[in-house]
Amino acid sequence: MRMNKKLLALLAALFALSIFAAACGDDGDDETTDTAAAPAATEAPAEAADEPEEEMMEHLGDGSLGVVQVEAGGAVQIRSLNAITGDVAFFGLPLERSVALAIEDYGPIHGFDVDLGTGLDDLCSNDGGQAAAQIIVADEDVLGVIGTSCSGAAVAAAPLITDAGMVLISGGNTSPALTSDLAGTAGENYSVGYYRTAHNDLFQGAAMAQFVFGELGLTTAAAIHDGDPYTQGLAQAFADAFEAEGGTVTGFTAVNKEDTDMVPVLTEVAAGAPEALFFPIFQPAGDFIADQAPGVSGLENTVLLAADGLLNTNYLALPQTAGMYFSGPDTRFGENVNQSTGKTAQDFLAAYEEQWGEAPAAPFWAHGYDATTLLLDAIAAASSVDADGNLNVDRQGIRDHLNSVEGYSGLIGTINCDDFGDCGAARITVVQNLGGEENAEASMDNVVFSFAP
Amino acid sequence: MSSSVGRIPLLEMRKVNAHYGAVHALRDVDLSIYEGELVCLLGGNASGKSTTLKTLLGMLKPTSGEVVLDGEVVNDRPTSYRVARGITMVPENRRLFKRLTVRENLQLGAYLRKDSDGIAADLERVYELFPRVKERLGQKAGTLSGGEQQMVAIGRALMSQPRVLLMDEPSMGLAPALVQQNFELISQIHEAGMTVFMVEQNANMALGIADRGWVLQTGRVVLDDTAEALLANPALRTSYLGGSKDSGDAAEGSGEPG
Amino acid sequence: MDEGAPPSGAPRPRLLRPRTRVDWFLTVIRVAVLIVLAVGFMAFIAQEINPDNPFARWANPDATGLTGAQFRGLVISGIAQGSMYGLIALGYSMVYGVLGFINFAHGEVFMVGAMTGMITSNKLADVGLWESNFIGSLVFIVVVSIIVSSLTAVVMERVAYRPLRGAPRLIPLITSIGVSFFLQNASVVLLGPASKSYPNVPDWVKAKHTFLQIEGAKILVIVVAALSMAALWYYVDRTKTGKAMRAVAEDAEIASLMGIDVNRTIVKVFAVGGAMAGMAGILWGILFRSVIHTTGFLPGIKAFSAAVVGGIGHLGGAMAGGLSIGVAESVGPLLILEPLGVSGVSQLRDAVAFSMLIIVLLVRPAGLFGERLPAEDRA
Repeated sequence: MRMNKKLLALLAALFALSIFAAACGDDGDDETTDTAAAPAATEAPAEAADEPEEEMMEHLGDGSLGVVQVEAGGAVQIRSLNAITGDVAFFGLPLERSVALAIEDYGPIHGFDVDLGTGLDDLCSNDGGQAAAQIIVADEDVLGVIGTSCSGAAVAAAPLITDAGMVLISGGNTSPALTSDLAGTAGENYSVGYYRTAHNDLFQGAAMAQFVFGELGLTTAAAIHDGDPYTQGLAQAFADAFEAEGGTVTGFTAVNKEDTDMVPVLTEVAAGAPEALFFPIFQPAGDFIADQAPGVSGLENTVLLAADGLLNTNYLALPQTAGMYFSGPDTRFGENVNQSTGKTAQDFLAAYEEQWGEAPAAPFWAHGYDATTLLLDAIAAASSVDADGNLNVDRQGIRDHLNSVEGYSGLIGTINCDDFGDCGAARITVVQNLGGEENAEASMDNVVFSFAP
Repeated sequence: MSSSVGRIPLLEMRKVNAHYGAVHALRDVDLSIYEGELVCLLGGNASGKSTTLKTLLGMLKPTSGEVVLDGEVVNDRPTSYRVARGITMVPENRRLFKRLTVRENLQLGAYLRKDSDGIAADLERVYELFPRVKERLGQKAGTLSGGEQQMVAIGRALMSQPRVLLMDEPSMGLAPALVQQNFELISQIHEAGMTVFMVEQNANMALGIADRGWVLQTGRVVLDDTAEALLANPALRTSYLGGSKDSGDAAEGSGEPG
Repeated sequence: MDEGAPPSGAPRPRLLRPRTRVDWFLTVIRVAVLIVLAVGFMAFIAQEINPDNPFARWANPDATGLTGAQFRGLVISGIAQGSMYGLIALGYSMVYGVLGFINFAHGEVFMVGAMTGMITSNKLADVGLWESNFIGSLVFIVVVSIIVSSLTAVVMERVAYRPLRGAPRLIPLITSIGVSFFLQNASVVLLGPASKSYPNVPDWVKAKHTFLQIEGAKILVIVVAALSMAALWYYVDRTKTGKAMRAVAEDAEIASLMGIDVNRTIVKVFAVGGAMAGMAGILWGILFRSVIHTTGFLPGIKAFSAAVVGGIGHLGGAMAGGLSIGVAESVGPLLILEPLGVSGVSQLRDAVAFSMLIIVLLVRPAGLFGERLPAEDRA
């Protein structure tokens, strides 16, 4: 598996090189784009001189990160970077599709079409995020990226993408390390220019802790992560919140993503005889934990809980997950309307079903949709059309707009962005699996506990 | 035993040429071995002795000429076919399957045979011939002494019910006392009726027990006579040692692998 | 099968009589490893006697110790896992024996077996046979899976390795890595990238049985693995084909002189190795009930390590190597590392498995049952 990823990374790097080479090759024949973009990006005075003509179109931004010019007839470039292959494709594909649908619903920006290019794959890994980010930043026309799906990929992708002046808005990342601790301290992987509509897992951890301690009345719990920033952050958030509630954390450990025999790790946590076991990890490791836990001495009656990484119909259909609890984003979107497109969740699901012939397999599609409309709004606010009919987009302006988002109405509810890029609605629910393949869809909506900060 | 002149040869090479890549290893070699004979092929290093054996067994294809086994041209037949038709070899340095038991080595000799009664009878004959082998049946072949290994190697070859037994350098790598013993073994099985074709560097020992012999020099047969005549022929020494005083134990030349 | 090395005059590892600097260095490492193992083990014993005793506290203040049932569970789980490693390792070992190279794609043959079992068992479950006649269905999927994985191995040999016969051994080795990628990607293309599950097994398979409190599935795995191993031993040690395999492994040229068709024998070796891997694939499916295209990778690498630990080319060694790696990685983290205060020990199970390989090679370079290879035989 590792070798596979390395190979993919290598191929991706080669691909990036070839794109770069192609771009260089273009220089000779097509100087106009280059000369048009270069002065615009570097010469602020020239911009200032043009200002009188542009007075009619106010836009955000001071040009400090450069300006991207889209020629008349061209398209605004944004990208999608999600986990669209591998074990977590069920999670990344709806995100990628939600970006496409949002662009379709949004329509053109100041008359310019929005181009999504080819969907990039974050492989749900650090390596994958890095490789894809390098491909993206090689194209200087890209304004913003919707992604990544996995926090682990964002850790590598966010610095690269934001350093290039672009913004990265994720509908799927939830690790606290990517934004802040919600108390004013930036997380260790925070990059300026990173935003997300997904919730910060400190909320999810707190929700699960409240549910286990308050609702289920259990006082001892253990947590297992797999070393991925998302799983580790969430397990830690849960453990901290659970102790804050007054419970005792009897074990906190990790597995390998590739492990199948979970008896050793389960025996390790069984030594503390926990009443609840929270494992916010992914498939397939999650399959094996749920399957093998009841067979380990000391865990026969332990309540099993997991998080949104395992909250999908595929996992819920497994016999061993019947009765398990899952935390995740509140998907009861009801009559919420996205203010930029005027669409509701029902409209979205109908369009999704029509286009891809299935319902989204994981719950973050609405977050991806709102992330995209936020980005398109920000591009609109940061751009102006000049006398030649070109669209000039100020990169800093995009960030200025996102930093000031407040009271935005999205599919996921009311969105406010904080100082560290957290724009989520932070509404968490806990659902219980009704059991059985036939109930998998219904289980997704079988809410037993709701949480709002 | 007297040679059987006038009958059809059991094994024959007719004007055989063979190449290892660019090396012309055999040049127009004519050999004929009759039933019941003990004949030897003498020659120095890289003279083409091993190539002759490989060509006879089908491990190397001749570039021209014919290999004839019991009247049938077998140029295009694989080794297993020729073994089934009654030809086998005791390889140089014995090359037993050292990690297999003595019994398994003997059984593998009879790999192509289906007659379990015949196999059992032949096993008994081998035990009769080499009583010491019987005591070692359950042992790994690699644990035997050099002399015992030679017995097993011959026994393994006999198990395929050969009509002609090829022997590649039976004196190679053995202590002088064992060499003597080995040649006694060979004449013993020859006297029991086996046709033997022996390839050897040690001319005196070989001609001491053989009926006839050939001398090979750089892939060409230079002498062809009865054993007595060859021993008496002063040309033997010059032609086959080529003036060199190399010991018979030296490795084969690089132009002739194996 | 070999029992013990013949007195071929091979030098024993110079454990206690170091002669060169390298020997000194190796001796120091060996002693250090033994000290770590001893301290960890003693800390575990101390912890088991009483987690609050000073030595256990010194080693790891958070230690809690294990109950007897938990320890037994670990060992059983290690044996079950190890039996599967052993079955896969047989294929590595046999192919190495006859061709002298490591067929890295063998882990993928195991994956193909597990995938075949998944498809077949789900089809049986669809028509209701899986529930109504579990044992019969199991036999059926074992047969199908053995056929498919043997065929995979045979085709692999014919297409990828036979044309390379006679090439330097590095060439087929690298080819086998390519074959491995090919099979993984073929599985993604044919079956998709998501993990796929086996149908639910009857309760008696999941339930713990009175005998030692072992789950039925694990008893099944251990028993079937032992039977397969016995059948293979009989096949290789007692049958004519088995003798031919061993003869080809030792000296292909002389084997052909005996009238053995070397190519056919090599094909049979691949087929038998593939059958064992297919059997392991089914056991994997019954025990874990989930397969994905990368299922073969890690078990494949561990089985390869098991073959080396046992002494590559030695069938009993492969099984012993598999069992020792399985038990070591299951028990090792909690028995040695946790009492030493290492955190997140369960994540270190792979490290434990591969450390086991290194430790065995440090002490016995030819593996537990292996014979020392002459230099020219080392690939």
